[in-house]
Amino acid sequence: MVALDTAVAASTALDTRPPARRRGARAHFTQFKWLYLLLLPGAIYFALFRYGPMYGAVIAFKDYVPFLGINDSPWVGWAHFEDFFASPDFPRLLANTLILALLSLLVAFPLTIVVALLLNELRVTMVKRSVQTLIYIPHFLSWTVVASLTYLLFALDIGPLFQLINGVLGTNIDFLTDPGWFRPIIVLQDIWKNTGWGTIIFLAALAGVDQEQYEAAIIDGAGRFQRVWHITIPSIMPTIIVMLVLQMGQVLNTGFEQIYLMTNALNRSVADVFDTYVYFMGITQGSYSYSTAVGLFKAIVGVVLIFGANWLARRFNQTGIF
Amino acid sequence: MSAAALIATSAVVLAGCSASDTGGEAADLTTVSIMAPYLVTNAPSGDNEIHTALEEIAGVTLDITWVPNSSYLDKTNITLAGDDIPHVMVVQGKDPGFVRNAQAGAFWELSEYLPDYPNLATTLPEVQKAASINGEVYGVFRARDGMRAAVILRKDWLQNLGLEVPKTTDDLYEVAKAFTQNDPDGNGADDTYGLIIPKWPGAIGSNSPYDVIETWHGAGNRWTERDGELVPSFTTDEWLEAVDYEKRLVDEGLVNPDYATFDSANWNEPFLNGKGGIIIDVHSRAGVLMSLLKESDPDSFQNYVEITGNLEGPDGVLHAHPTTGYSGFLAIPKTNVRTEAELRAVLEVLNNMNSTEAGALLNNGIEGTTYTLDGDLAVAVDSAPQALKDAVLSYSQLGTNVTGFQGYLPKQPTEYEQEMYDKRKAIEESDLESAEYDPAAAFVSKTYVSKGAQLDTIIADARIQYIAGQIDRDGLTDAIALWRSSGGDAVIAEINELASQNN
Repeated sequence: MVALDTAVAASTALDTRPPARRRGARAHFTQFKWLYLLLLPGAIYFALFRYGPMYGAVIAFKDYVPFLGINDSPWVGWAHFEDFFASPDFPRLLANTLILALLSLLVAFPLTIVVALLLNELRVTMVKRSVQTLIYIPHFLSWTVVASLTYLLFALDIGPLFQLINGVLGTNIDFLTDPGWFRPIIVLQDIWKNTGWGTIIFLAALAGVDQEQYEAAIIDGAGRFQRVWHITIPSIMPTIIVMLVLQMGQVLNTGFEQIYLMTNALNRSVADVFDTYVYFMGITQGSYSYSTAVGLFKAIVGVVLIFGANWLARRFNQTGIF
Repeated sequence: MSAAALIATSAVVLAGCSASDTGGEAADLTTVSIMAPYLVTNAPSGDNEIHTALEEIAGVTLDITWVPNSSYLDKTNITLAGDDIPHVMVVQGKDPGFVRNAQAGAFWELSEYLPDYPNLATTLPEVQKAASINGEVYGVFRARDGMRAAVILRKDWLQNLGLEVPKTTDDLYEVAKAFTQNDPDGNGADDTYGLIIPKWPGAIGSNSPYDVIETWHGAGNRWTERDGELVPSFTTDEWLEAVDYEKRLVDEGLVNPDYATFDSANWNEPFLNGKGGIIIDVHSRAGVLMSLLKESDPDSFQNYVEITGNLEGPDGVLHAHPTTGYSGFLAIPKTNVRTEAELRAVLEVLNNMNSTEAGALLNNGIEGTTYTLDGDLAVAVDSAPQALKDAVLSYSQLGTNVTGFQGYLPKQPTEYEQEMYDKRKAIEESDLESAEYDPAAAFVSKTYVSKGAQLDTIIADARIQYIAGQIDRDGLTDAIALWRSSGGDAVIAEINELASQNN
């Protein structure tokens, strides 16, 4: 705290001098040395725990054997990437991953906004608070619990939802093994677990909307939906865009646990995604190099998508994240 | 290799001269470090009675790192990548990670050394071969019962319907059908089925009920020999016949309908609750079922469980499904055991740890504290501290028993259980004579190491999909073709080449 005060005092005291950059880097650092010192712990943290371990990613280009270590394992160049792109698994994994990602982007993401808007329209604080708390709870359950609940609800012949849905439709669908039902169930689980929690950031944005605009709109005779459409949504658009851009970076992260727990021999054809494949190849099969190559590919796609979405956002005159 | 062989041979010659009964010059080693898994909740404390007694037998200080079983594989690889590598490591199987490390030279090759040590010179050479990597022995294997496959049936249901214990797979079908359709529990409701089959965590060749049924049908055990060539079981006609048999059981509703998702952790429940009547698994599950029944119904628990061994196939021949005969091995990494003299010192310690004296300690614990002797049988002492009972289970992970089981067999708590246990031993012994061994057990193909898990999953999934009716016979054949083109053909070629080199 003392350091912060000193730094702030130093920078304000020096404000009358000419801009630092004109007098070269050295003077700049001298001028802002306390601020840079403040930055140091964060920088060291990132260098040590975020960038440091990235060194390990070189094993994607090596034939890594734990006994030989990272340095002594032989180089193989792009061989693992070539194997991966040429393997029959690749198109299937890509398709499964993208479909799940798109479903989550098109269904789960807008739903979060809708729920936030609905909550925002609630006028009785007690009700609003209670509903919020209730829909946050699933976020704190682990995927293992969610999967167990799903198995109980949809259990063949005896699960309540199995009986209800099949009873109403007059069908005999085994939701847990039918490949056609795998994706809907994954998305439903995702919505059930994460929608409530996801509304927090939008509710924060909604709290910041200028109330006078509403008053003006009411005087102009705007109805509830018109107010939401013409004031609320445009006001929180920057937040929506930022969340969307961040979401794009996570597109290929479909969530290992959830999918792994819901996979079985009968639905594997639609369930295999990059995350489960990396686990399967890396841990069960001991192909550390190969699975690192797959993981690296996934990360690069994520970065490209973030920059792409950001670029698009700026093009359409919205604020991006950088 | 030839240099190593030469050194080994000269070591043997030297041994003959130096009148040492374990051969070779051994370095002076005061502490031996060991890494081992523990399967109970808590790792043994460092100074328990078993540890002290074992150190006395081993003749050195033992520094044991206990690692939870669930993270053992990860820990093995992390340890091998680091600097602090123990003298001895329990390795739980020939998984691809181990094979890669071994082939990169991480472990001592022991086949030339083991014969010098009376307690390590195995009396089960075929198991040692099966545990090897293409004939190279990278550890002292941990011996297990050679035969465990069993059919466990509801005894009361058999009696209610006046049925005999099945002897053939056809009998099994008939019993499963009667258990499903003829109201075996006599409650007037159609609420029972025959076989209980869980979702299996492993792929093919992982001792699932499916694998066992296929072996019974004569499809071999993972691999089989056809026209002088080794081929995977699932390329045989017998395999298809067996899968059709499995499909018929499922189609006619003789199996629990959720066989593709039913959690194997709950396997006992339908049997105990009177929903399903047959389990194809290992003999020890019958013991577990009996003790569970004893807890809930101590007066008549002896009326519910019947066991039998392997079943004759449609060809009228008994093809019994054996185990691999081992469960991993004690491997000696080269990092900290650098010279041959040091290796000999470590082997001497392992030799001491497989003596008759150590065997009783590792398998049964301390006489008078955890067990008492009744003839040749160990009677468990119920009042022994739980920590010590758990410690016995953990220390048994260090036992190798390569010259036959070194401990005392457990005495069963009641006469009925003893009778069943003796029956089990008799069945295991007679089934062992008809065991269908995996002829490719010793061979590790390069393609299989890099792609095996994927390849196996293709077949295992197709098998379930065929049984469930998701794909037809052509789809099943397509899956086998996909297996071949994805690397399976290379595996077959490599295995056969290894087989011809090793004979």
